[in-house]
Amino acid sequence: MDTNVPNALIRAERDVGFGARVTENQRRVFRIAYGILGNSADAEEVAQEVFLRAYRKFASLREAEKFRAWVNRIAFRLALNRQRALRRRLARETAWQAAGMPDAVDGMRNADERIQVEQLRNEIEGLPEKLRRVLQLSLIEDMDATDVGVVLGIPAGTVRSRLHTARKLLLEAMT
Amino acid sequence: MKNDCAKWKDQLLESALTKTVATDLQEHLSRCPGCSEELAALCARRERLDALLPFAAQVPELPAGFRTRVMTAVEAASEAERGRHWQLWGLAGAMAVIVATLMIGLTLHRKAIRAVPNTELAAAQKLAEWRAPSDVLLETPGQEILQSTPKFGKTYLKIPVEVPKEK
Repeated sequence: MDTNVPNALIRAERDVGFGARVTENQRRVFRIAYGILGNSADAEEVAQEVFLRAYRKFASLREAEKFRAWVNRIAFRLALNRQRALRRRLARETAWQAAGMPDAVDGMRNADERIQVEQLRNEIEGLPEKLRRVLQLSLIEDMDATDVGVVLGIPAGTVRSRLHTARKLLLEAMT
Repeated sequence: MKNDCAKWKDQLLESALTKTVATDLQEHLSRCPGCSEELAALCARRERLDALLPFAAQVPELPAGFRTRVMTAVEAASEAERGRHWQLWGLAGAMAVIVATLMIGLTLHRKAIRAVPNTELAAAQKLAEWRAPSDVLLETPGQEILQSTPKFGKTYLKIPVEVPKEK
């Protein structure tokens, strides 16, 4: 039993470090998954899977920045995989018009604004996928162009350029 | 906006987005109230877009107890992994015991083969060299003659022939 004590200590220490990383990243990971899946339950499952995978690789993900970049990327990929799987079974469910979403949109002043938001969501859905992904990820509050670039595997400059194009198309489409 | 102002459309959009006005556009705006109005409208739209985008991207709050569920799942996965780890060690141990048993058995078997007494070996040698007395009966008389192949016109038998001398 004595030989198990150091292992248990290492595990406990690892769990504490890992718990802190979960706290730091959970909201963003959930948002990335939700942005693609548009469904809380699916997004939660994906986020949980992301952290399970991260735990198995935690020895090589000790650094906070490495961990953050890794979970962002994996969350995006797993959510896309799940979306593809769901698409095969169900009619396409958009990230921007999920059931329960109107209740989730807080802080809007009136019904007119709600309609405008709905219209904007539709416009975003109509954007080319490359632009839509960049826009969706950029709208997550603590994701800058570099973070988005790491997730999508493109340079930060390309992220900025696509974001600009996306905004331009939305501006053109707005009435 | 007049028809000949269509060429400024893209620049107007860019100006509204970047909040900067290029010199040539500035010049045009000073002469064209239509485009100035268009730019003002675009700027107002851009402001509305900026205000609405966060709402469009609004995501419900993280479900309550998410972290606890993650940590529980992680702990369960970790336990299962440890279980698998021990299973693997058990399997490896069993394999090692089987291999060791086989090696010991093989070594003992080889030793048993080597330990044949000299008397038995001598008897085996004698047995190998033994010929049955009936082997003699199988030999044909004149067998040596038959073993050589005669050439054409020659005979198997070498019988000396006496030729009478002429008187």
